Amino acid sequence: MIPIPPPPPAIIAPAVEPRVAAPERSVDTASDLRIAAALTDARVRVDSGFSGATIVLYGAVFNPGDQPTDVVVVVRGPDAPVRLVKKTRNMGVWLNSRPVLFEGAPGFYMTASTRPLSDIADFGQLRRLGVGVDHLRIDAPEETRTVTRYGVRDVVVSRLGEDYLDWRRAVIRLREAAALYNTDPAGVSFVDRGLFRAEVELPTTAPTGIYNAEVWLFQDGDPVSVSNLTLTVEKVGFERNVYEFAHRQPWLYGLMCVLLAAMTGYLASRLFRRF
Amino acid sequence: MDIYLPIAEVSVNWAVLVMLGALVGFVSGLFGIGGGFLMAPVLVFLGIPPTVAVASQASHVVASSTSGVIRYSGQGAVDYRMGGIMAVGGAIGAFAGVEVFRWLRLLGQADLVVALSYLLFLGSIGCLMLYESLTEILRQRRGEPQTRKDRRRPMWLYGLPFKLRFPRSGLYISVIPPIGLGILVGVLSAIMGVGGGFILVPAMLYVLRMKAGVVVGTSLFQIIITTAITTVLQAGRNQTVDIVLSMILVVGGVVGAQIGARFAGKFRAEELRAALGLIVLLVGMQMGLDLFVRPSDLFLFAPGISDG
Repeated sequence: MIPIPPPPPAIIAPAVEPRVAAPERSVDTASDLRIAAALTDARVRVDSGFSGATIVLYGAVFNPGDQPTDVVVVVRGPDAPVRLVKKTRNMGVWLNSRPVLFEGAPGFYMTASTRPLSDIADFGQLRRLGVGVDHLRIDAPEETRTVTRYGVRDVVVSRLGEDYLDWRRAVIRLREAAALYNTDPAGVSFVDRGLFRAEVELPTTAPTGIYNAEVWLFQDGDPVSVSNLTLTVEKVGFERNVYEFAHRQPWLYGLMCVLLAAMTGYLASRLFRRF
Repeated sequence: MDIYLPIAEVSVNWAVLVMLGALVGFVSGLFGIGGGFLMAPVLVFLGIPPTVAVASQASHVVASSTSGVIRYSGQGAVDYRMGGIMAVGGAIGAFAGVEVFRWLRLLGQADLVVALSYLLFLGSIGCLMLYESLTEILRQRRGEPQTRKDRRRPMWLYGLPFKLRFPRSGLYISVIPPIGLGILVGVLSAIMGVGGGFILVPAMLYVLRMKAGVVVGTSLFQIIITTAITTVLQAGRNQTVDIVLSMILVVGGVVGAQIGARFAGKFRAEELRAALGLIVLLVGMQMGLDLFVRPSDLFLFAPGISDG
């Protein structure tokens, strides 16, 4: 039997122009060194049982050659201003200095890497990328300026110079003590050739908001590829309702707290009278 | 056992909080004080931010004081007129105190002022109470006759205008001293996060010279009003009241307060005063010690940036 050729189509569909993603990836993964990563959970729900969270970040290095590569994971929480005071001794009594305001320090910052950061890339490179707690950009204006806030004169907004470094280090040290800043030089482990994982440990004091995770791939001290992820930490359910109520209608909320407390006191005294 | 507190934004063991509430409630019922000066340091030690601790425990004071007042009221031991007049002063003081506290936090000097007030007020009052009650106990041991108390009232206090009769307290005095006392306690209540009973009780006894029987009930009544206002102000102005934290403390507190009030009848007044004086003195010294001991870290975070 000779197969009958199919009838020619009436209209020939125009060839579809290849869009962006699919072919590009196949090209890239075919040759270039590249990194990709994902989080097991991109939303952390803070409810009454919240006692910190551990999120696993996993990813793959495509086309690892013979050249050794390093992976660095940087997670930073939402920025918030920080006020710091220094205790100084005056006539035998420890007093607070005037507070210094840092206008933006991440509320959470962690790095995890395959090796200590100083072995992976040089100082300049890390500083340029803002990778590592020592290279963290804590926004502070260039020169000392004093402003008036809430009628308080001479609030020092920033103080640069060698003094500034002490203050900066103190921010980091205090945050590290609270487990909010963390450096783990062995936090990224390779499960298999090209496949790695890292853990992000959020303490209960971790601020809510949007977190950014950068996963860097370094080779010979230079960043080769980066993958950006976002992580949301948010209050849910009862916790969220209470928080929003307390901030949207603070006066009503306060009144409710007092009435609830007074009612409880009243009920208790009624109950105890029986005995 | 851990519970996450929505405003404090930390996770704490709720059983510990209930126990703490009950213990402070017991002390509060026993001595007729709010007990805030005991609770704030412990809450801070548990990792709760000081601003939230100070604001949230105020409603614990409201609950245990309500429960106490109802008990004393049954015995006719509350002078509502005196308490009400002092509460007017307390309200004025609380308004001023919350604003002063905001300003101090901005200056970064809130810690210093809190530590100094604790050292000054608790230290001096603790010493006075301890001295007075110990001499009384010693005198009784020796079987000496009761010394005639100096009932002469200071002229500057009793010569003031706007006199009012307070039958339950056995007084006929101007309203200015009670209002002034109320203002002082209101300011302290906002700054130190305390009800101010440890100042009110001795002041009512030794300065206003009220009948001893109504002092505790009346001070508790005044404390309810002042701390209720402080709580609403802190919530409205600073958003630092954690309802979950305060309710956990309240539940323990009201039970403790009832037991404490029951026990109060079993001890002599001067023995109670000696014990309270000792506690007050110790807490004052502990808080004041921070001023003289080299801190482990010279730097620390200053709270109060959310609206900076």
